[in-house]
Amino acid sequence: MVAIPQSTFKIQHAFIPPLIAFILAVGSWEVLVRGLGIPLYLLPAPSQVVATFLERPAYLLGIGVATFSNALVGSLIGCSLGCLVAAVCVRWPLVADGLVPLAVAASAVPIIALSPLLGIWLGSISPASKVAVVVVMTFFPTLVNVYRGLISPRADTLMLMHSYAASQRDIFLKLRTPAALPFLFNALRICATLSMIGAVVAEFFGGPQNALGVYIKTEAGILHTSEAWSAILVACLFGLLFYLAIVLVERRALRWK
Amino acid sequence: MSAPMIEFDRVSKIYQSGGGPVNALHDVSLSIAAGEFIALIGPSGCGKSTLMRLVGDLEQPSAGGLRVRGKTAHQARLDRDYGIVFQSPVLYEWRSIRKNVELPLEIMGQPGPQRHARASELLRLVGLSDFGDAYPHQLSGGMQQRAAIARALSFEPAILLMDEPFGALDEITRERMQLELLSIWDGGPQRTTVIFVTHSIPEAVFLADRVVVMSPRPGRVERLVTVDLPRPRSFETREDPRFFALVTEVREGLREH
Repeated sequence: MVAIPQSTFKIQHAFIPPLIAFILAVGSWEVLVRGLGIPLYLLPAPSQVVATFLERPAYLLGIGVATFSNALVGSLIGCSLGCLVAAVCVRWPLVADGLVPLAVAASAVPIIALSPLLGIWLGSISPASKVAVVVVMTFFPTLVNVYRGLISPRADTLMLMHSYAASQRDIFLKLRTPAALPFLFNALRICATLSMIGAVVAEFFGGPQNALGVYIKTEAGILHTSEAWSAILVACLFGLLFYLAIVLVERRALRWK
Repeated sequence: MSAPMIEFDRVSKIYQSGGGPVNALHDVSLSIAAGEFIALIGPSGCGKSTLMRLVGDLEQPSAGGLRVRGKTAHQARLDRDYGIVFQSPVLYEWRSIRKNVELPLEIMGQPGPQRHARASELLRLVGLSDFGDAYPHQLSGGMQQRAAIARALSFEPAILLMDEPFGALDEITRERMQLELLSIWDGGPQRTTVIFVTHSIPEAVFLADRVVVMSPRPGRVERLVTVDLPRPRSFETREDPRFFALVTEVREGLREH
C-alpha cells in the first residue's frame, strides 16, 4: 500500500466535498432548466452562461477589472481608516465609548442604501462615488473588529508588560498589534465580500458604461438574461479571488496558529 | 546585617468594591533579606497575591511604607528589579518560545545577538533547548511554565515574584518543577530573592527559607515559620521527619485564626 502524505490527504479532504456539492448544484441547474424547458430570458442554463461569457471574455473581464479596482481601492481606504480610528479608540477610551457603539450599529445597517446619495454628492458617473460606497461599507466592520482585537489582551498579559516598565509604544507594537492580527484578517475577509457587493450595487445607480453593475442592469433590462449572468459570473470570480488572496496572506501571517 | 531587600512597614490595602471597602491587607510588617526564598501561604482572600503585587508595583498600598531595594516599589519597577511568573504562563502565542524568552530583553533594548545568546542559555537552563522554535500551544503546561520562568530570569532581576506558578500543574510535574526551580535558584552566582505565593503547604515548606502564614479578612501575617531544612533540597527532603514537623507547624498556623 502506498502511504498518503498527511498534508495531501487533508487538502483533498477539504476540497473534495465542496467540489462535489458544486458540481451537483450546477448539474441539477443545467438538467432542470433543460428538462423543464425554462425559457432563456427567465433563467439560462449554466452552459449557456459560460458560452455567453466565452463570446467576449476580454470585454467582460475588462469591465470586471474596472469594478474590482473600485472595490480594491475602496476597501484599502476603508480598512486603513478603520485600523487608524481603532488605534485612536484604544489610545483615547473616551473616543471609543462614543464611537464604537455607533460603528457596531453602522455595521448592522444596509449602508448600500446610501449609494444613490453618494452618487448625488460625488457624481453618479464618476468612480469616486463607487469607491466611496465601498469605503463606507468596509470602514465600520474593520473599525469594530480591529478595535476588539486591540483590546483583546487579557489583564495578565498587560501586567507582564507593566512589570517590564514597557512604554505605551512597546505595548501597542509588541502586544496589542499582534493580538489584533487575527481580528484584522477576519475583518478583511468580511470586507473582501462586502467591497465587491458595494462596488457592483453602487453601479446599479449609474456609472460608466464599462462596469459590471451597469452592464448587468442594462442587459437585464432588455431581458438579455444570459449576458447579465455572464457578468455575475465575472463578479463572483473577482470576489472569490479577492477572498482567496486574503486567506493566503492570512495563512502566512498567522503561521503560529 | 545588611539592609533588607524588601521591607513592609505596617502596610494596608483596602479595595473599594460595590459592597463597601474590603480590607485585603491589614498592618503587614515583614522584612525580607537579599537572597531569601519566601513562601506566602494562606486561604483564598488572605491577600497573599496582593502582597506580592505590591512589591511589583502592580498595585499600590493604601497605607504604610514599602521599600524595595531601598527604593519605592514604583522606582524598583522602573529599574526592572523584579521578574514575575503568573499562575498561567502568559506566553505571547504569536511568538516562538525563544522570542517569548527574549521579550523583556527586547523591551529593555538589548541588541539582537546578545538576546539570542542569553535566550539559548536560559532555554538550556530550563531544559527547553530543543523547543526554541516551537510556538506556545505546541508545548505542555509544564513546559510552558518553564518558558515563563526562563523569561522572568532573562534579564537577571534581583527579585523573582511567583504567583502560584505551579498551581495549574499535576502533582508529579509539580514536584519535578519545584526541584528544578531550586536547582536554578541555587545554581547561580548570586541567589535571587524569591517571593513565592502558593496554596500548597508541602510546596511552601519544601521551597522556602521562611514561610509566611497569612489569615484572611483582613489579610494579616499570622505566623512566620523558619524552615531549617538543609540545602540543596532533594526528593529525600520530603521524607525527612523535620519536613513533616514543619508542614504540621504551617498547617496549625493556618488553622489558628
